[in-house]
Amino acid sequence: MTFEEAQKELEQIVQQLESGQANLDDAIKLWERGEELHRLCLEQLDSAQGKIEVLKPTEPA
Amino acid sequence: MKVEAEQYGDRTVYTVSAFNRGVAAWLARLPTVWVEGEVTELRRQQRWQSVFFTLKDPGDGACLPASMPRGQFDALRLDLRNGERVHVYGRPELFEARGELRFRALSIERFGLGDHLAALERLKQKLGAEGLFAPDRKRRLPRFPRRVGLLTGNDAAAKRDVLTAITTRFPSARVVVAETYVQGPRAAPALVTALEDLCRAEEIDVIVLARGGGSFEDLLPFSDERLVRAVASCPVPIVSAVGHEQDTPLTDLAADARASTPSVAARLVVPDADEVRERLTQTRRRLQRAPLHLLERKRARLDGAYGRLRALSPRATLERGYAIVRDGGRIVREATEVATGERVEVELGQGGFSATVEETR
Repeated sequence: MTFEEAQKELEQIVQQLESGQANLDDAIKLWERGEELHRLCLEQLDSAQGKIEVLKPTEPA
Repeated sequence: MKVEAEQYGDRTVYTVSAFNRGVAAWLARLPTVWVEGEVTELRRQQRWQSVFFTLKDPGDGACLPASMPRGQFDALRLDLRNGERVHVYGRPELFEARGELRFRALSIERFGLGDHLAALERLKQKLGAEGLFAPDRKRRLPRFPRRVGLLTGNDAAAKRDVLTAITTRFPSARVVVAETYVQGPRAAPALVTALEDLCRAEEIDVIVLARGGGSFEDLLPFSDERLVRAVASCPVPIVSAVGHEQDTPLTDLAADARASTPSVAARLVVPDADEVRERLTQTRRRLQRAPLHLLERKRARLDGAYGRLRALSPRATLERGYAIVRDGGRIVREATEVATGERVEVELGQGGFSATVEETR
């Protein structure tokens, strides 16, 4: 899952919870999923070590 | 009679003069052609029959000595200067006395800025008509690319500026750099090859094509049809960051976005790390508060319902002084439901009592 996807789902979950339409059982499940997504995002932010590589070029024919 | 060749056993040996004449005869069969180059080492003197100059390839510096009869040259009234780009119509010829190859010019035309601009405009119209620059072809750039491809010249400045701008904005960015020629006739095909290499590299979600400022001619490879087509058909979203604000190489039009400076390019391809963190923190805060909010709302709804329930309860009516009369558990609503002497139960706001019916009306 990319950071972008995780962040999007996380924000949808928060909106859903804030709308107050979920029942309590669902709300707890949503909250747990939200926490998991938040952790995923943080991991991706922190683990993505900045890195600069140089691509070996193909010699023009 | 000149001696052309001599036999030394089984070896035929030509004189220099005969050899040169032979080569000259071969060269004379070549067709007349147009050659484009820069004029250098222009030498014109009254006492010379011909005007001499060297045509230089601006790309790699290859040289071709050329000459033109002085009368013809003067008749053209070109007032040529060293460094000017020209088209020369002529054919190769050997200066036999020295065994030197020379391009014998029959006509010279100045290829100026106007010609470059006209050629560029024609190409722009053509590619535009094919729809290469259409707005609906532009793709959205990813907000959070796994890796950024940077296609740039081996000139350090443009590469360094873009890399610095990207890593300042997003320190954990991963960038794959492909370096190649960005100037001269080899630049366009080399850029196309390097772009294809980048597209094949793994996890590249966006590409920046970067080149620092330069003269109009320096930036010409970025309007080369081959490169412009490669940019337009690039499978990965691509940003053209070529030259300065006032320059509009055709890659700018064919790319998904254009950036006039390295920092604009960085803003387009990576998110601001601080903003990303802040947004994530805010979202987390809302997430943590959300279940509590939900409970509070449920509680409030429950309280509201209970309040309404109580308001509707018969007890509230009894409190106001009314009474309920039951006959064996059944509520008595009409006098005909009971008979004289029957026992009924009466419920009041507080407590109740049993009674006997004395009379019905």
